[in-house]
Amino acid sequence: MEIFITLFITGVGLGALYFLVAAGLSLIYGLMDVLNFAHGAFLTAGAYATWYFTTYVRADGSLTSYAISLLIAGLVGALFAVATEQILIKYLYNRHIDQALVTVGLGFVAASAYLGWFGTDPLVVLPPVDLYNVVQIGDAFVGLDRFLYIGVAAIVLLANFLMLRYTRIGLIIRAGVENRNMVTALGIDVRKAFTFVFFIGGFAAGLGGALATTYASGVGPTLGDSFLIYAFITVVIGGMGSVPGTAIAAVLVGTTQVLVNYYVQGLGDFVVVLLLALVLLVRPQGLLGKVVR
Amino acid sequence: MNLEVTQEKALELSDVHVTIRGSHILQGVNFGIEPGVVTGLLGRNGVGKSTTLRSIVGLVPRVGSIKLFGKEISNLKAHEVIRSGVSFVPEDREIFSTLTVLENLKLAERDKQPNYDIVYNLFPELLKRKNQRAGTLSGGQQQMVAIARALLNNSNLLLVDEPTKGLAPRLVTEVADALEVAAKSATILLVEQNLPLVKRIAKNIIVMDQGVVVHSGSPMDLENADFAQRMLGVSGGSH
Amino acid sequence: MNLLPSKYRFVPVVLMLLAAVSVFTPVVDDPGLQQTFAVAFLFAALALTYDLLLGFTGLLSFGHSLFYAAGAYGAAYAMARWEWQIIPATIFALFFATAIALFTGATALRVKGIAFAMVTLAFAEAGHVIATLNLWGLSNGDITLQLRPESVPEFFLGVNNTRNLFLLSLITLAIIYLAVWWLTQSSVGRVWQALRENEERVSVLGLRPFSFKLIAFVLAGVMAAFVGVVAVIVTNNANPSMGSTGTTISLLLMVILGGIATRWGAVIGGVLYVVLSQRLTTLNTEGALSSFPEWIGGPMSEPAFILGVIFILVVMFSPGGIAGALYRLKMKFGSSVK
Ligand SMILES: Nc1ncnc2c1ncn2[C@@H]1O[C@H](COP(=O)(O)OP(=O)(O)O)[C@@H](O)[C@H]1O
Ligand SMILES: [Mg+2]
Repeated sequence: MEIFITLFITGVGLGALYFLVAAGLSLIYGLMDVLNFAHGAFLTAGAYATWYFTTYVRADGSLTSYAISLLIAGLVGALFAVATEQILIKYLYNRHIDQALVTVGLGFVAASAYLGWFGTDPLVVLPPVDLYNVVQIGDAFVGLDRFLYIGVAAIVLLANFLMLRYTRIGLIIRAGVENRNMVTALGIDVRKAFTFVFFIGGFAAGLGGALATTYASGVGPTLGDSFLIYAFITVVIGGMGSVPGTAIAAVLVGTTQVLVNYYVQGLGDFVVVLLLALVLLVRPQGLLGKVVR
Repeated sequence: MNLEVTQEKALELSDVHVTIRGSHILQGVNFGIEPGVVTGLLGRNGVGKSTTLRSIVGLVPRVGSIKLFGKEISNLKAHEVIRSGVSFVPEDREIFSTLTVLENLKLAERDKQPNYDIVYNLFPELLKRKNQRAGTLSGGQQQMVAIARALLNNSNLLLVDEPTKGLAPRLVTEVADALEVAAKSATILLVEQNLPLVKRIAKNIIVMDQGVVVHSGSPMDLENADFAQRMLGVSGGSH
Repeated sequence: MNLLPSKYRFVPVVLMLLAAVSVFTPVVDDPGLQQTFAVAFLFAALALTYDLLLGFTGLLSFGHSLFYAAGAYGAAYAMARWEWQIIPATIFALFFATAIALFTGATALRVKGIAFAMVTLAFAEAGHVIATLNLWGLSNGDITLQLRPESVPEFFLGVNNTRNLFLLSLITLAIIYLAVWWLTQSSVGRVWQALRENEERVSVLGLRPFSFKLIAFVLAGVMAAFVGVVAVIVTNNANPSMGSTGTTISLLLMVILGGIATRWGAVIGGVLYVVLSQRLTTLNTEGALSSFPEWIGGPMSEPAFILGVIFILVVMFSPGGIAGALYRLKMKFGSSVK
């Protein structure tokens, strides 16, 4: 039982990281029909930003420095994402396959640029020692960092919810996910919403990257790509364009992966991809999503 | 001198072509509509009426000249066309089914002071149901939302595509009343299959066939059964 | 060449190419170069099989590497563990890949578009996980499944015989080219291309799109598996990276770079991709980039960086890839002559 609790919370923590990557992917796809293969590169950018900041700018290992580095990572991810949208995606308006291809190319370019700049070996990022503490729940011990992932993801989820529910841009995004053309036919420049979803998607991915350096104890050139596949799986299971669906799917994917992997190393990854195939075949639109075309 | 000739048209299309995925749907559409009145755009199914409206809004790629009160709008993006004072009620309503009624209306706000009074006076039902998800409304109520979105702002031009399609007779009357109210302050281009309704509110009619305009005249023309049969494939002439 | 009906004109081209290369090869007696080209030809063949799906049938699969790996591991496993000879091992590998393609294809084709891409990605990732983590002891994991030398003829073994590997790859490429050419010209191939343009129109004719897509999926998979078998002989092992999404993405890059749905576009893209990767690496180790400042020289020393940039430029400015650009040049040139 104790081990189950530990594994479960670890799984939810991993799911929280997946959520941070997947939330943006889901909104971007839902609104723009662009499957963004460069999203992993945004995450990696955030991770390297954290490494740089906590190694060269404020290497005191304090919680404050760590918190600042999270913010910076988010901003770096967001800037990268907005640049991607403005420089590449925008000019391929309505050419959805080409948009996806360009992001494939960008992911490729970014991964090799990281390799050229930072080398193959992961760079170690040490989080503040406090994060190594464990919390006792019943008889089980769980690392504090897990709760940090969950907390950050919960804040992002809440902020997303408030933004979508109570702001005009949120209204435009929700309407655009349903019927982009009709939004423009009401006199709204929907492309501003495109830039905006790239911004928030990039921000969440950058944050995810910063936290992933703690989860993986460092950052290498392909950190983002290893998360990207599971984030894709999360998005598709949750339903393209649905942030709540993404959150549920993220927890499902994270816990399944961790629990099964505990019993047979590697089998969890395998089971998760089969889970995706299963969900898509039974419910092609995912748990809560719009119909995938 | 005839006043009609010199008067500026509210909307003027010259040689408008639309090609979608290889099919040449509009093949040189030409017509002008008078300001301040309702013009009916008629024709059989599939002749390109909806596509004509969508080309005016800019929802389909189009070639040719489209002038709104003398200003060329064919080079504008859809949202810019709408922002120059055009409101569009699409075929099949296209309301946002996951948003509430009020959210649908809010999204459509363009003016500083959107006219909620007019809208709620015409359709009290919408006020009652403002927090209901639009997807759960009946077809008639959804049409009210679609029309309300257009009436919320002051427009120079209202494009309305088959607003009574699939509605019960009682609702047809309600929609007609709403259009008449709207007609007091805006020019309307109305695509409509319901001929009695067209006769009631339209001053002019335009008939299309196979991607071009084949006739323009007055609704009186529809009294001629032979004309209606030939142009629209319906037995018109009755009230 | 005008003696031949236009649909057979490729035959002399292929024969000339074969002849030229086999004469030329002994001259370039550099095993390194021969090995590079052997790998390049295999990737060109693999890209062709991918183009059959992407270009000719309009199926965007992110799981094509699964079949390449299935062929490689199927053959390597039969040889290493059951001590089979290469021919029966090849047959086994092809049946193995067919079974996987039938199952995954029939499942994935129940959904369309991006969902199809994602399901294929998931299946391939499942295969990749099995290979990487050596699940059920099938793959040896990162140690790789080595080619059992006793199972293949002597003339494929050792550095002295690299030339034979080169020829083997070239012949493989020719076979795949002919097969893809024949398939895309056939009546089934025309249905594939009609499906790519407009699926409804095909169903209206009373043909079941699902069956035709499945045929394309399985045939492309089996051909990829065949290339995988040859790759085991050429590279001496079956390894997990063969089945990675990265492999599929590089196929996508090759096809788009060369020119989609043109057949030889995929060949050019594949060869260029591999040769460029290797040449750029060599250039770098020779210090050709030392004049660049560090921040740009670092990424430039990664071939994938340059290839990726070219790829992005092609997608944005030259749809149709190299083949498309050449075609446009030809049109321009042709009309100016008149
Ligand atoms: N998006 C589209 N793609 C292909 N064909 C279309 C599309 N939209 C409309 N069409 C075709 O264009 C023609 C005109 O359609 P439409 O303008 O909707 O006619 P109407 O409104 O007069 O009934 C029809 O033959 C229809 O099939
Ligand atoms: Mg219509």
